[in-house]
Amino acid sequence: MATTTAAITLSSDLLSDTLSLATSTVCTKAGTSADGLDQARMGYNEIPTGTSFNLLDGTAAAIDKANKVYICNNSTDETYYITIVIDAKTIGRLYAGDWMFIPWNVDDATHDIEVTASTGTNPITWMCFHEGETLETQAD
Amino acid sequence: MGTTAAITISSDIMPGFTSYYKTMTLTEAGSIVDLKETTGYSRKKLASTSAVDLFTMANLFVDSDAVSGGGKVFIKNVGWNGTIDKSVGVKVFIDTVEIGVLYGGDWLMMPVLATDGEDIVVQPGTDDAVVLEWALFYQ
Repeated sequence: MATTTAAITLSSDLLSDTLSLATSTVCTKAGTSADGLDQARMGYNEIPTGTSFNLLDGTAAAIDKANKVYICNNSTDETYYITIVIDAKTIGRLYAGDWMFIPWNVDDATHDIEVTASTGTNPITWMCFHEGETLETQAD
Repeated sequence: MGTTAAITISSDIMPGFTSYYKTMTLTEAGSIVDLKETTGYSRKKLASTSAVDLFTMANLFVDSDAVSGGGKVFIKNVGWNGTIDKSVGVKVFIDTVEIGVLYGGDWLMMPVLATDGEDIVVQPGTDDAVVLEWALFYQ
């Protein structure tokens, strides 16, 4: 089976004792350990300020699948950020250098992932590991 | 040191793509100042399909600038009793909007804004026992 692994190390000295953890997961299809996600899309885009863009379209993704999404804001100015929205709900902001990794099971076709840059042009790296996508038939 | 998080993604889906690595330092919004607040590392067993507030944002973001916050949350489905079960998924919501499902062993790291005090809610898909672990970092 195709194998995609996502690992994180998290360290913090905010507590009286240092918090340090490392974990990883094998990204499998929904509800099974026997079959890995077998499709992927990824890209690098510059997001100009002021306009909301559909980064990932819920209608094109398989609904109720175990998709995983990674987004990183590659800006270097710490005041720059992009806002992440799913199905019209603001999730949060990725400031310069921030990244996120989430499951995205596309509860319904309105669950697009939208990005909006609020300051300057923000270059982003994104990846979506998924299953079940069928390309649209070409039609002139 | 503050708080740092690093991700490594490895995949053999596409020929030529092997792995990707990125680290980040968790800072206050629009700043290079480290985040200073955290819930600490928490753990909870769930064993029903009831939706549960993992975080009540109104309690955390008092006296903080929630609107421009640089908050980040980590959540992991650690399974139950040492067994990671990919068939046991837990839905994660911001308020009523579903983000996705954490199956056994899955984790997420995402920004949190809570402009209107939206809570982070979790809901198991079955009544099988499952444990979540999490930490929220905020300003």
